[in-house]
Amino acid sequence: MSQNRTVTLPEEVCAEAEKWMAGSFQNLEALLTFLLQEIVKDDAIKLDQAEEKIVEQRLKELGYI
Amino acid sequence: MKKLSVVLVTVDCLRADHVGFLGYSRPVTPVLDSLAKESIVFSNAIVAGAPTYFSFPATLASRYPLSLGRDVLGIAPKEPTIATALRDSGYSTAAMLAGNPYLSARFGYDQGFDTFRDFLDAVEPQEPQFSPAAANGASPLNRRIQAASRGTAFTASAYDELYFWYCQWRASRENASMDQLRRYPAADVVVDQARSWLSSLGDEPFFLWLHLMDPHHPYFPPEEALAAVGASQITARRARFLNFFWNRGDVSPRRLQGYRDEVLSLYDAGVYWADKQIARLIQALRHFQRWENTVLAVTADHGEEFLEHGARYHSPNHLPEQLIHVPLLLRLPEASGARVLDGPFSLLHLAPTLLGLMDVPVPQTFQGRSYQKHILSGELPDDPVISECADGCNNPFHVKERLRPRLMTVRDRQYKLVLRFGEKKDDLYDLKNDPEEHLPLGANALPNIRAHLLQTALAHLRTTRQNRNLDLALHGRIRNLRQSFSSTLGPIRPH
Repeated sequence: MSQNRTVTLPEEVCAEAEKWMAGSFQNLEALLTFLLQEIVKDDAIKLDQAEEKIVEQRLKELGYI
Repeated sequence: MKKLSVVLVTVDCLRADHVGFLGYSRPVTPVLDSLAKESIVFSNAIVAGAPTYFSFPATLASRYPLSLGRDVLGIAPKEPTIATALRDSGYSTAAMLAGNPYLSARFGYDQGFDTFRDFLDAVEPQEPQFSPAAANGASPLNRRIQAASRGTAFTASAYDELYFWYCQWRASRENASMDQLRRYPAADVVVDQARSWLSSLGDEPFFLWLHLMDPHHPYFPPEEALAAVGASQITARRARFLNFFWNRGDVSPRRLQGYRDEVLSLYDAGVYWADKQIARLIQALRHFQRWENTVLAVTADHGEEFLEHGARYHSPNHLPEQLIHVPLLLRLPEASGARVLDGPFSLLHLAPTLLGLMDVPVPQTFQGRSYQKHILSGELPDDPVISECADGCNNPFHVKERLRPRLMTVRDRQYKLVLRFGEKKDDLYDLKNDPEEHLPLGANALPNIRAHLLQTALAHLRTTRQNRNLDLALHGRIRNLRQSFSSTLGPIRPH
């Protein structure tokens, strides 16, 4: 189980966010966790790296690496 | 010395082999052909991605479409573009875009423009009714019969055929003109707005971007344009039928082939209309005494397929020449006589080249470079150029589609390597001896050439990943999140 961290946020921003997310997220922590996960996820970078390996492999097959 | 102004005209779906100055035999581009006689013509201009949403980040922001991470669509918030660079240098800027929803403020295309008109309020959002593909045209009874027909391939096919012709019969009872059937504003409407904007200018230099949709499907050109391309026999009713039939997903390419010539006439008439309105634009520039001090660039975001490889329209399921090879013409005020540059030229370099000609600093985020010196010397290097997209991504609003494996082409003057990363496959074509790309060379043929193009691909992948602008990528992702939470998403269709 991952550890938690406490952050300090402006009260008025939290209140606005809670109004805005009504019904979509259980609480502010769930919303922020979702948003941060979305921002830092690296699906695209993993794909890019895998594609580099495919080209490297092909160049190896041809004897150019 | 007075600063030069810039007009950029992009024509959606305009492929290179359908303009006269690049060899098309049908006289559909008399204005551009005449202009080409006093312009620099890039006979091997290649888009950096296709369709529209993979093409324009390169054209405006000189950035490869997948280089911010393929989850970022359009121009990232705060991303410098040719428009922001020119505005920061004191230019008045305007964009008049004929209703392509991917070229909207939502995707950052308004950045840098003092005046931004995307005509999305004038776009007809409905799918054509009376088509088997359009669920909104089917009654509950039809839907029940359709569901029942899916028991066998034969009954499903029979139902689709009968329903299609029933829809055509219903549609034939309605009288609608080409103007009523057209989904996007025609080029004359866009040019009218541009003329009005030009009339409001003082003496300051300006940047004007026009995007014309006339050759984009559904193909409903003005009657005058049809007559001009020798196809006046195609009535509005016939055009509607042709568009519906051409859009069918349930018929073989062989059956579609029977209608190809007529559909091509509709497309060509759209090209003709865009060409004709460019003449009106030039007339306006002359009228306002700006023509002699304006650089005009005319190009496209991608081409269009008409069954050459079995496909229609411009889906990024493959990147044949019909999709990536586009016209590019650059008319400079001081240039006299035509010059044809036949080296490969990526549209990634267009914005920095234009900025170079304007003597305006090129933003650091631009991945292309100015070819000003090459243009003046009349010789382009034979550096391979790259086009890329997410393979088969027809609906970029679906994250899964955006995150599909990359499809990439690396092309020099003669050879083209097509890399399908999803299949771990690469096909090499000799465009000189096989311009239609029907005969991929053997897997181990021409190893030196193949390796050179593969090394170019590898360098591109490494460079774009290592130099990824994390700040822009972050802002792009945040915008994605805002939009995914928005409940006001409108219908999006064209690419």
